[in-house]
Amino acid sequence: MMEAALLQVAGITKWYGDQRALADVSFDVRHGEILGLIGPNGSGKTTLLETIAGLLPVDAGGVLWQSTPLPQHRRREVVLYLPDGLRPWDGQQVIRVLEFFTSAFGGQAADLTKAIRSVGLEQVLGKRVAALSKGYARRLTLALALLTPHPVLLMDEPFDGFDIRQTREIMALMRRVAAHGRTFTLAIHQITDAERVCDRFILLVEGRVCGIGSLDDLRARIGQATAGLEDVFLALT
Amino acid sequence: MYFLRSPDTATVRRTSLRPLLVKEVGELLSGRALWTMLLMLCPLVGYSFFQAVALYGEASAAARDQPVLATSLSPLDGIVVPTFGAFYVAVTLLFPFVAIRALGREKETGALKLLVQLPYQIRTLVAAKLTAISVAWLIGLIPVATALLLWLSFGGHLNPLETSNLFLGHLLYGLLIGAIALFAAAISDSSATAAIVTLGFTIASWVLDFALAGQSGTLGWMSRLSLTQALRTFEQGLFSAAVGFGMLAAIAGFAALAAIWLHPGTSLHKRLARTVLCVGLAGVLLAVATQLRRSSDVSEDKRNSFPAADQRTLAGLKEPLTITVHLAPEDPRYVDLQRNVLSKLERIVPNVTIRLVTAGQSVIGSAGEVSYGEIEYSYGAHLAKSRSTSHREALPLLYGLAAIPVPTPQTGEEYPGYPLVADGWIALPWFFVALPLLIAVAWWWWCRRAPHIPAQFVKSGGQQL
Repeated sequence: MMEAALLQVAGITKWYGDQRALADVSFDVRHGEILGLIGPNGSGKTTLLETIAGLLPVDAGGVLWQSTPLPQHRRREVVLYLPDGLRPWDGQQVIRVLEFFTSAFGGQAADLTKAIRSVGLEQVLGKRVAALSKGYARRLTLALALLTPHPVLLMDEPFDGFDIRQTREIMALMRRVAAHGRTFTLAIHQITDAERVCDRFILLVEGRVCGIGSLDDLRARIGQATAGLEDVFLALT
Repeated sequence: MYFLRSPDTATVRRTSLRPLLVKEVGELLSGRALWTMLLMLCPLVGYSFFQAVALYGEASAAARDQPVLATSLSPLDGIVVPTFGAFYVAVTLLFPFVAIRALGREKETGALKLLVQLPYQIRTLVAAKLTAISVAWLIGLIPVATALLLWLSFGGHLNPLETSNLFLGHLLYGLLIGAIALFAAAISDSSATAAIVTLGFTIASWVLDFALAGQSGTLGWMSRLSLTQALRTFEQGLFSAAVGFGMLAAIAGFAALAAIWLHPGTSLHKRLARTVLCVGLAGVLLAVATQLRRSSDVSEDKRNSFPAADQRTLAGLKEPLTITVHLAPEDPRYVDLQRNVLSKLERIVPNVTIRLVTAGQSVIGSAGEVSYGEIEYSYGAHLAKSRSTSHREALPLLYGLAAIPVPTPQTGEEYPGYPLVADGWIALPWFFVALPLLIAVAWWWWCRRAPHIPAQFVKSGGQQL
């Protein structure tokens, strides 16, 4: 039996002037999964995440939470979106930004300690956010996500800036967090990264969904049982 | 694990405001704009204060020989207004850059997308930013505060009420500039654009002030929208409910506009519709504000009021008083009449109507008329005419119309004046060396201060792991 959808994206269409950014995009997000939003640059991944988070208006479609329509102004109660290249409050020290997030969401000191340890920020707590390397800035973003109570996390290019070892560490962390019931939707343009970490994939090209499913589902669609995600993506788009 | 808890829709309502306020103030203090403004304020305010003390001293020296001159020596006009004047220039031209940082930097770094997802309402975010801006304004006031303390240390006099009133006027002005800057930052993609938009507002206000002041009709009404005009009321020792309420309405209007444009996920046409509604509402509030007649003369020399005995008598005039003025609005006699008689009567007589029959005409166009220059006073069924712009002639005329005796002036109520010949040289090293140095040290300390790192992340030697 298919698992019930936690979040449903239903027919989202978005236009920028006369250019269509998203065309009737629909898919489900399931509890505790890591869903990969795969597509080349400019395919509409960021726009899609921002519309789901309620940060961008849509021309058509909507979002359902456990089969109930979720109005735009209530999305932030269940969904947290972390943009690409984020360096929040870059004049502040890392620990202050983390403490702010902890307090804002009513967290405790233990939650802060746990988040710092899980993403490996111990070395840079006294540094200003502006002085962080790209990799540490990503870790900070992830730590902020872990400090919130949102069941669904939308992350834009979460592995950009990490080396192979760091990418694996962060993927392992995401797996652990997902195993505890949180759900990730990751916009990734590096197909190899996506193949390693995601349970299911949405293939997005020019704002249209070209394929949805696990790697096995997608392989079955193209009739190649051993094809990698890259081959599947090329075959379906 | 904490971060695995189920969705909590009540989080938005329960969240404490304190972390947000601390973050907002910290953001403004961690930027260069506030500290740079503070450093620039030191010489600006210092030189204004030094010059004011020197000129006040010269006038006071003359008052030694002619004691009657002392009564015109008011520290409000001589010292406080000029010192705040330099602050006003800085708030107009520099403070927008400080206020824009409260939002502009978050827009540029992408942090705004995170901020609007926090468990705060958008109006709470804007209110927190406006609070942080007012804290920044208070910090910017440090050079002015030290100037007034120096004045007191010279043996100078400061009337608490009139000084507080001026402080209030500048606070409202600073908040208004801050609210405009927030709105500009909300609608602009970059801080540079936001700065241009804000300066557009303030400079347009100066243009209104310079170009349209003294004009009649719509142009005259427009000139009263100038931000400088609003501040002038406070500088004259007058607390006007109309001006205070009007400025509050404008601050609330711009803050609401900022909230409308910050609201995520709203389409452009919805934003525009809400903007029109907000501007309309603010317009109604401003119109209501202009109808408020209540004002209080908080100046120590009671410059905005007639002598106390006249005030009491005039307050008892129950019948409608109509004053018809045959003067063009830009005529200096009208300006005198307005200042010496009309504005004071409007504040004290319960039922007064003032009609400017030559409104819309120029001096050149009207001066040829026989009645030009006449002022008609109509009280009950009685009518009297005069050409004087002084209250010494106008008031007896009014008493005659009302058939009441001219009140006897009370002795001992005259303003004594506060002449002081002080050597203000100490202000120069203070404002040009010592205070900037102290501010630079405070800046350095603020930037270098180490944050509190949780104990488990600190090695035994005190170093971070």
